[in-house]
Amino acid sequence: MPRENPLARVERELRVAPRHRLDLVEEVGADVVALQAELERRGYGPAEARSAAVARLVPGGEVIGQLEVRLAPALGRRLLASGWMDRVVAVGAGAAAAFAGVVAVVATADLGGAGATVALRWLLVFVAALMAANLARAAARLWVQGDLRQEERLLLWARQTGLIVAAVALGALGAAWEGYRALGASLGAPGPASLSQAAAWEAIGSVAGVAVSGLGVAVLGLFGWLLVTPRLLTDAECERRIDAFFAQSRPRLTPDSSNTQSHGQ
Amino acid sequence: MQVTLSKRINQLLVLAVLDQGPAHGYQIALAVEEQTGGSFSFQHGTLYPILHRLEADGRLRAEWHGTGRRRKTYEITGAGRAELAAGAAELERQFEALLGLLRGSRAA
Repeated sequence: MPRENPLARVERELRVAPRHRLDLVEEVGADVVALQAELERRGYGPAEARSAAVARLVPGGEVIGQLEVRLAPALGRRLLASGWMDRVVAVGAGAAAAFAGVVAVVATADLGGAGATVALRWLLVFVAALMAANLARAAARLWVQGDLRQEERLLLWARQTGLIVAAVALGALGAAWEGYRALGASLGAPGPASLSQAAAWEAIGSVAGVAVSGLGVAVLGLFGWLLVTPRLLTDAECERRIDAFFAQSRPRLTPDSSNTQSHGQ
Repeated sequence: MQVTLSKRINQLLVLAVLDQGPAHGYQIALAVEEQTGGSFSFQHGTLYPILHRLEADGRLRAEWHGTGRRRKTYEITGAGRAELAAGAAELERQFEALLGLLRGSRAA
């Protein structure tokens, strides 16, 4: 069974931006191949040369830690050195959620509406806060720590999509409820079912207000994600190149060398 | 005897090798080992943080070559040469002082 490329472990453990990971695996990978060839020219057996090249050049745990601190963004470098990275990301996400919640409360406070609509608005505030926390977490991973892996990226995007859909649904539900309430009031009134012009405009205003609140939160959530998208696309391209590197280097860098004969130095 | 390398000595070793001409990372590692008779060597990728630090400080210039499988070459800069000269002189003074102390204690 072919062994894992030792650089794959480094790439997995190194928590820095994909472009730094790509640069490192390409640099070290090329050096390992070249040093192995040089040692073979000097009389080492293939397995021995390979093992000597890996021992000299492939970063170990301590070196990976040094590289993380060196390659992290400026703020992240200080946080990593102090060991406060995860706490700061969590606090940042909480602060963003609280801020978005307060903004949403202020923005929807004057819209009025019945009890059920007010409850839906509070749910929208909650959704806006969750969206902000989600975005803050993604932004902190990208620009403070520098590393947002594909699985975490997909999870955050799935959450954001779910929250956008929830905001639209809450807006639509609130609008429908407001419309039903206005219609019910007119049907319940004595005489032919009709709405006065003023009452009709009020009903339209309530329906539109709730619908716009839901759509507004959804658009903000989408727009926030669009802001991080260019960086996500760059990262995805680097990760594709990292995968291509390991796919190409498989025959050369991960030989099953247990059967290769060593000729010694 | 394998000497535990200080950060300073590691940097000077890299700069000294690159003062002889541009090189890839593996060539630097190999040259340090050969030119010091095996007294100094880089293991477990310790070379790369040093190279990246020197590059960030402007003491080395790095260049990528190739399009498909890229390779990185390092070259010493003027600031690197100045650092090498100053660092070598300082090390010489420190080692002289250390050797003086050791010789004195042996003679006593």
